Amino acid sequence: MDVELLLGIGRFVLATTLILLLTVPTAFIVIQLELKVIAGMNLRIGPNRVGPSGMFQSTIHGFKVLAKEDQIPDKADRATFTIAPWMVFMAAAMSMLVIPFAPGAIAADFNIGIVYFFAIIGLSVVGLLVAGWASYNKYSLLGGLRSAAQMVSYEIPLTLSVVGAVVLAGTLNFTELIHWQRDHGWLFIWQFVGWGIFYIASLAEINRTPFDMVEADSEIVAGPFTEYSGMRFGFFFFAEYVSLFIMSAIMTSLFFGGWLAPWPFPAELSGFLGTLYGIFWFFLKTYLFVFAAIWMRATLPRVRVDQLMGMAWKVLLPLALVNLFVTAIAVVWLNL
Amino acid sequence: MRLLTERVAETASTLWTDEDTVEIRISAERVVEVLRTLRDDEDLDFWMLADAAAVDYGPTEHFEVVYHLYSDRHPAWLRVRAKVDRADPRIPTITPLWEGAMFHEREMYDMMGIVFEGNPDLRRIYMSPDYRSFPQRRDFLLPDDAADSPAAGINPLERPETWDLTRFAALGPLNPLAAAGALPEADAVVADPAGEQPEPSTVEAGVTDADKSRPR
Amino acid sequence: MTATEPREGRVRDPIDLDAAEEARLRTAAGMIPAPIASPGGEYFGFDTVSIPDRPPQTERERELYTLGEGEMLVNMGPQHPSTHGVMRLVLKVRSEVVTDLDVVLGYLHRGIEKLSENATYTTVLTYVDPMDYMSAMHNEHAPALAFEKLYGIEAPPRAQYIRALVVELNRVFSHGLMMGFLALDIGALTPILYGFINRDEVVEMLAAISGQRMLFNFFRVGGVNWDVNDEFLSRLGAWHAKELRNVKDNEALLTGNEIFRARTRKMGVISRQQAINLGVTGPNLRASGVPFDVRSAHPYPPYHELEFTPIVQEHGDVYDRYLQRIAEIKQSMHLIEQIMDKMPHGPVQAQVPGIIRPKPGRAYAAIESPRGLYSVYAISDGGPTPYRFRMRDPSFVSLQVMPVLMPGHLIADTMAIMASLDPIMGGVDK
Repeated sequence: MDVELLLGIGRFVLATTLILLLTVPTAFIVIQLELKVIAGMNLRIGPNRVGPSGMFQSTIHGFKVLAKEDQIPDKADRATFTIAPWMVFMAAAMSMLVIPFAPGAIAADFNIGIVYFFAIIGLSVVGLLVAGWASYNKYSLLGGLRSAAQMVSYEIPLTLSVVGAVVLAGTLNFTELIHWQRDHGWLFIWQFVGWGIFYIASLAEINRTPFDMVEADSEIVAGPFTEYSGMRFGFFFFAEYVSLFIMSAIMTSLFFGGWLAPWPFPAELSGFLGTLYGIFWFFLKTYLFVFAAIWMRATLPRVRVDQLMGMAWKVLLPLALVNLFVTAIAVVWLNL
Repeated sequence: MRLLTERVAETASTLWTDEDTVEIRISAERVVEVLRTLRDDEDLDFWMLADAAAVDYGPTEHFEVVYHLYSDRHPAWLRVRAKVDRADPRIPTITPLWEGAMFHEREMYDMMGIVFEGNPDLRRIYMSPDYRSFPQRRDFLLPDDAADSPAAGINPLERPETWDLTRFAALGPLNPLAAAGALPEADAVVADPAGEQPEPSTVEAGVTDADKSRPR
Repeated sequence: MTATEPREGRVRDPIDLDAAEEARLRTAAGMIPAPIASPGGEYFGFDTVSIPDRPPQTERERELYTLGEGEMLVNMGPQHPSTHGVMRLVLKVRSEVVTDLDVVLGYLHRGIEKLSENATYTTVLTYVDPMDYMSAMHNEHAPALAFEKLYGIEAPPRAQYIRALVVELNRVFSHGLMMGFLALDIGALTPILYGFINRDEVVEMLAAISGQRMLFNFFRVGGVNWDVNDEFLSRLGAWHAKELRNVKDNEALLTGNEIFRARTRKMGVISRQQAINLGVTGPNLRASGVPFDVRSAHPYPPYHELEFTPIVQEHGDVYDRYLQRIAEIKQSMHLIEQIMDKMPHGPVQAQVPGIIRPKPGRAYAAIESPRGLYSVYAISDGGPTPYRFRMRDPSFVSLQVMPVLMPGHLIADTMAIMASLDPIMGGVDK
């Protein structure tokens, strides 16, 4: 056996384990943030009992769902009902593998990282569809079908909006993309339209307000999650908030320079210190976008199904195509 | 008021007013005709059905369906009272005139058991569809434990034919249409609710021994 | 494996045992028979769930519960996050488009009319409080007026002004909450909480004058319970300035919001004629362009002494009904100013005995509640209790609009349209 292969396998196992473990605190932090921020915007106090100023509320929620009874409806399809939360959660967790937290701090530095990401994040729709179908509940079914329609539609503008950036940078690797941004300036300046499309489509892709059709609680109760309880519901819940973090992180890497500081640091940091410095900026930018998404949730109403689909096909898709063409022409003619 | 007697001839004898209400009485068969005149006549123009309610004047008397109408042209509410036979409580529906009367008529059917002929959707609205009784009739008793009794609503207590109607003799002459002075003294008229309770021995079906022995 | 066969080791579902009987009943009634042994596997028969297990009673019911190709019934309520209380809507949908709708009521029926026949005139005023729990003051107003008419007295002028004052305050918070509920049903979280902040201030104010926060029990036959006090007045002064800012906040969140406008404009349009025909009253009727307001159409004191013109909107869609509520909040604020200016001095309670025995007769009194024309028809037989006590609740009548409006709209619009009608189930079910 090759030692290097063994080392590679060891590194991979370690990285995936770390990533998997990372999802838990990430979800807790994002949920806690949402509880507190929305409370503040609603002029409420929000959670203030568990821990100092309610800091551990979401953690306690997490343990609570662990301890709750796991119910499976009588007429549900047991096999698929059981596997659906797992599919959704794994789709979210696996896409975290390619997130470049800092120089060197990336679990799997694929040369086709961007393609991998979009391939994996799209898998969660399968889980939602399966959950909706297996629950033997009309609300679930409606929610599952809504999620299928919505996420499949928005995947197209989402992916196309990034292609412009990819063409410009000439790479599908996240690390190289960030290095390109270090040399040429952040991509959202070059690809402003692409970034706008990506932002809207990513909100729709992870079912955030104003596009939370899938679990529109005032219409279809909780969509595909209606019949779930206990940790199975917990997995959906975790996956939702982890996806929010992931989408913000990907947007940071693609358009906002990833771990780069907004201004060039006087002395180039390297090694462990550089990693810490990168992680700081990466998380700062990512949580800014998380905050923006929460802000939107507190402010905006929900759009309707037909308006949502109309926007994907009639506005975002043509815009993304135009953006791609303009970028391609610019790259070819101006030799950027 | 003059208009009323002109257009709705039969009301001439029964017209009655107070400070803000004009009242006419009609027979049940002519309800649709009269209300249509009241609504469509340009001078009357009672465009709004403000209320439709049923009144039960006791087991020995009759039902009454009361419509309140509003018109911009007249300062008073118009009250139209239609007498309905208690043995055969039927009256034509007015849903062709005002679709909004549908819920009112369903409620009257549910609560009083008045059948509106021609109403396309005369279902119970508050009580469950398999309910048998009509709870707002005067002869529907309210035993203290009605809600607890296993057969609440369908036990013989609430079926008028099993009752001793002499109990209600005091309510007999009660008819507000008659001259006010003709009524007996107030206390004699309205029996104390507690006095209407039948003896426990008359409870036949649906009440078990356990229910009887339950402390009240 | 079919739906009726029990799984191994599992208790047989009692619902399955009745499947044969159900199928027989359905066939007899000419409905789609529920399959006993289904050829389509376990999921066959999914679309027959929630069809009532009895023969239809009317033509309309038969039509409603008979499913066409590709249709299914969806039960909204009585347990649903946004049905405004325990109400059940049975939607017949084809994919997401509603083709028909049935309103099923009675989950909150308490028989207040019947209860009132066994209560004295004063205690009736406490029974009507929990009817339309968003506007308890209005609930007491109409019976108080009707009983006064029966008894042949009139409340002193100061009592009338205090009545109008508390009633307008109640209207302000009721309309404010309606804006919040509409937003919540469309998916916005925040306006409802702003609405409740406003409600809390008003309710504390009304608690200062009446002693209770929600079911005030403030009106008496022949007046009101207490005169205004210092705490009430100081709260009113502090609140008055804040209220308009509060409304402005909500307006800033919703009125110009592109998503909100896209969801509400040209949605659930009630035409003038339809509104009159269906008995819609109150802000919903005025949003359709009919200037009918009991306060001006058939004024009860003290509204004939106040400057007052009903506000109307043009289109009668959800957005107009929302705008109508905002306009009426501002109008109520204006009325409150007038009332405070003109309020006379004097007693607040006429001389009435403890137990009232009006002469035999009947009285009809109608007021404008936040949901429309709320009227009471009371018959006295000379005794201490009303012989018949009838209440006409505006939201009960308004609900009839739903089956007319809904066909062709999406499931998502059901809640928006219903919230715009602002029904309160306590009042609907009496």
